[in-house]
Amino acid sequence: MKSSVGHSVPVALYLGLILIPILFALDRLIFVTGSNPIEAIFRLDEHPLAIEAVQFTFLQATFSAILTLAIGLPIAWWLGRYQWKYIGLIRAALTLPFVTPTVVAAMGFLALINDEGILASIGIDLRNETGIIGSLSSSLGIEHSGHIIALLLAHAWFNLALVIRFVEPKIATLPPRYEEAFRMLPVGTYPSERLLRFWWPMLRTSILSAFVFTFIFSFTSFALVRWLAPEFWTIESLMAIEGGAAGIPGYREDVSLLVLGGATLQGIVLLAALGMAGRWQQKQSYEIELVSEHHARKKIGKPGLLQKVGILSACIFALAPLFLMVISSVRIRDRTTDSYRWSTEAWRYAFEGNLTYASVPDALMNSLFYAIGCLLVSCILGFFVAQTIHSLEEKNRPKIARFIDLLSMLPLALSGVMVGLGVLLGILKVWPALFSWYALPILPHAMLTTPFVVRILLPAMREIDSDYEEAGKILGYNRSQRFFRIKIPLLKPHLVVAAALSMAFSLGEFGASWILLRSGAWDTLPVLVDQLMSRPKYFQLVEPIAMATATVLMSMTFLLFVIAERFRSHQGGGF
Amino acid sequence: MSLVIDQLNVRFDEHHVIHDLQLELASKEIVAILGPSGCGKTTLLRAIAGLQTYDTGTIRLNGQHIEQQPCEMRGIGMLFQRPVLFPFKDVLGNILFAYKRKKDWNMAEVNAIIEEMGLKGKESQTIETLSGGEAQRVVLIRALLTNPRLMLLDEPLSALDVDLRRKIALEIRSILKARGIPAIHVTHDPAEAEIIGDRVVHWNELQPGDDDEE
Repeated sequence: MKSSVGHSVPVALYLGLILIPILFALDRLIFVTGSNPIEAIFRLDEHPLAIEAVQFTFLQATFSAILTLAIGLPIAWWLGRYQWKYIGLIRAALTLPFVTPTVVAAMGFLALINDEGILASIGIDLRNETGIIGSLSSSLGIEHSGHIIALLLAHAWFNLALVIRFVEPKIATLPPRYEEAFRMLPVGTYPSERLLRFWWPMLRTSILSAFVFTFIFSFTSFALVRWLAPEFWTIESLMAIEGGAAGIPGYREDVSLLVLGGATLQGIVLLAALGMAGRWQQKQSYEIELVSEHHARKKIGKPGLLQKVGILSACIFALAPLFLMVISSVRIRDRTTDSYRWSTEAWRYAFEGNLTYASVPDALMNSLFYAIGCLLVSCILGFFVAQTIHSLEEKNRPKIARFIDLLSMLPLALSGVMVGLGVLLGILKVWPALFSWYALPILPHAMLTTPFVVRILLPAMREIDSDYEEAGKILGYNRSQRFFRIKIPLLKPHLVVAAALSMAFSLGEFGASWILLRSGAWDTLPVLVDQLMSRPKYFQLVEPIAMATATVLMSMTFLLFVIAERFRSHQGGGF
Repeated sequence: MSLVIDQLNVRFDEHHVIHDLQLELASKEIVAILGPSGCGKTTLLRAIAGLQTYDTGTIRLNGQHIEQQPCEMRGIGMLFQRPVLFPFKDVLGNILFAYKRKKDWNMAEVNAIIEEMGLKGKESQTIETLSGGEAQRVVLIRALLTNPRLMLLDEPLSALDVDLRRKIALEIRSILKARGIPAIHVTHDPAEAEIIGDRVVHWNELQPGDDDEE
């Protein structure tokens, strides 16, 4: 009895945190539109932009995923097949984009494609669509093709790490004897046959998983769409911009339908994609026995010139937007003479908050407050949910354990904007006073990060040898002594990783914060960047100030990433 | 008698692992139980320690029934086949796990036993740097510092080479005898059983009514 109460409390709290806002929001939208969520999908055409947004969302997500694989697979192949001198450093450089907040990514890409950027200087003007890009647009008959290319490239840049993290370890740890045996067979004579009949079956689960996750992230992309392809709408960006008018009886029913139908459609797509990726990953886990990557790499040897150039280009591609963003914060354009000068003036403006309600230190304090709040809620709740699942597994109750595990993953199928709208329309309906509560943004941040905490801690808990628990009992330690003196220290590296990632995610979270932050005094760093970029650019420092603010955000996120990576590499990680 | 086990039965589903087991241990006696792998020796020790539930039977330690006591209240020390050392602590940190509170630390006693077991100078080493024999010595020190009423040795030397096994077996016997701690040592190695035990009993002898020992 005692243990079932112990199990149900964290699970109930977790479900309350996730489901209550969403259920209230659904109830309100169903009431306002008179349609159930599935009917709302079929009534999306009542909103003038919705169908266009749905089409663009699917198209750009699919092409983004294809482009990411096209760029990422050769890199993963070279990285996994050869002995690289600075493999840790190369991996870190290529992973960096993925941990970059989307607002920072957008700023980085704006810095890359702006009028005087590297791409424009070689004739690829994605921003103003002149030269080659202009000709391409007119010959294909696609308006703003430069912006679409910029968006697809940015998604490929952002998700490159996914392809590398999914595919490269598989290539690097595959026992060389498999390939050797295949080469001895008549079907393994030609590279094309080996690729099709050996490598594809070996790598397909990893490649498809990478494709699906890239598709998911591109599907729900908001900041990148908003800043790189402003003429286009995705479901996510349209819901974010229009969503404020939803849920009001007798007013803009089309918007309520858009939010209800759009969120349902998005939820179904994300759930299906996550389900598929989960199945592939599970299949992958028992496919073949792997060896140490050092052993496998040794067989192939050192990389040639082509591989070196390829990896170097990939590292430059990964780091260039961030580097250019920092440069753009100190390189000021004088619009009267159309020349550039170097100055830290934008940084001074950013720290003094001359153009915005909140200065960078204010926004940083807000961001840190929300990040620490998110860390506390998600780590405590995530820990107990993972503990509940693990304990049910140990008590041989796999069905309930799997059910709770599944529930714990539910928010992974929700985007930042969906959660933000869920809180806005759901909780605020029941308790409007929350609307003016400074700590409100912690709720969506925790909703979004708790599943990641569960996913990090649950495998770690499963890995802990039961001998430690028994040794603690034999030494005479009671339950709480065993918990604090044995279990927590054993989980410490994983807890640090979970905490750092929760904080990093919260610091960079844009969609939900953008919807919920209604007072300038609450502004977070990503919202501050967005506000600055939304200002008219008559004043020459506006964009450099935004770049400076984004640089501060990037530095904070990278610091947390370094902490997480340090612990992950020392102790191994679950997620 | 320090330990009396009467009519102990343990089943795993349909598999009757321990069948009406009888065992008595005199005060300060070390008994070595000899039996093949998988016969149920470890299950017996785990049942005595409170790590394993059993179907029927009684266990009395120093005249007290301990069946209802949780493992941590029984005052029993145990050495597992694989030494269980906490990876987040060094050698000394692992040894000090014998004390529940910092104020209970008896450093004079700790230092004396570290020296006695030949681990002087290794206190600040991480546990990964220890050999198998050293790791088992650390576990033994930690168990001894808890002043156990009974020590259970679950083939703690099985992973060591023959010479080292003999050496540590002698050390274990001498240290248990010096402190007057009764012990049960289970093994499949007759030579080891002879070294450690005052008395060697075969697994079959403990379950007189059992025809199907496996």
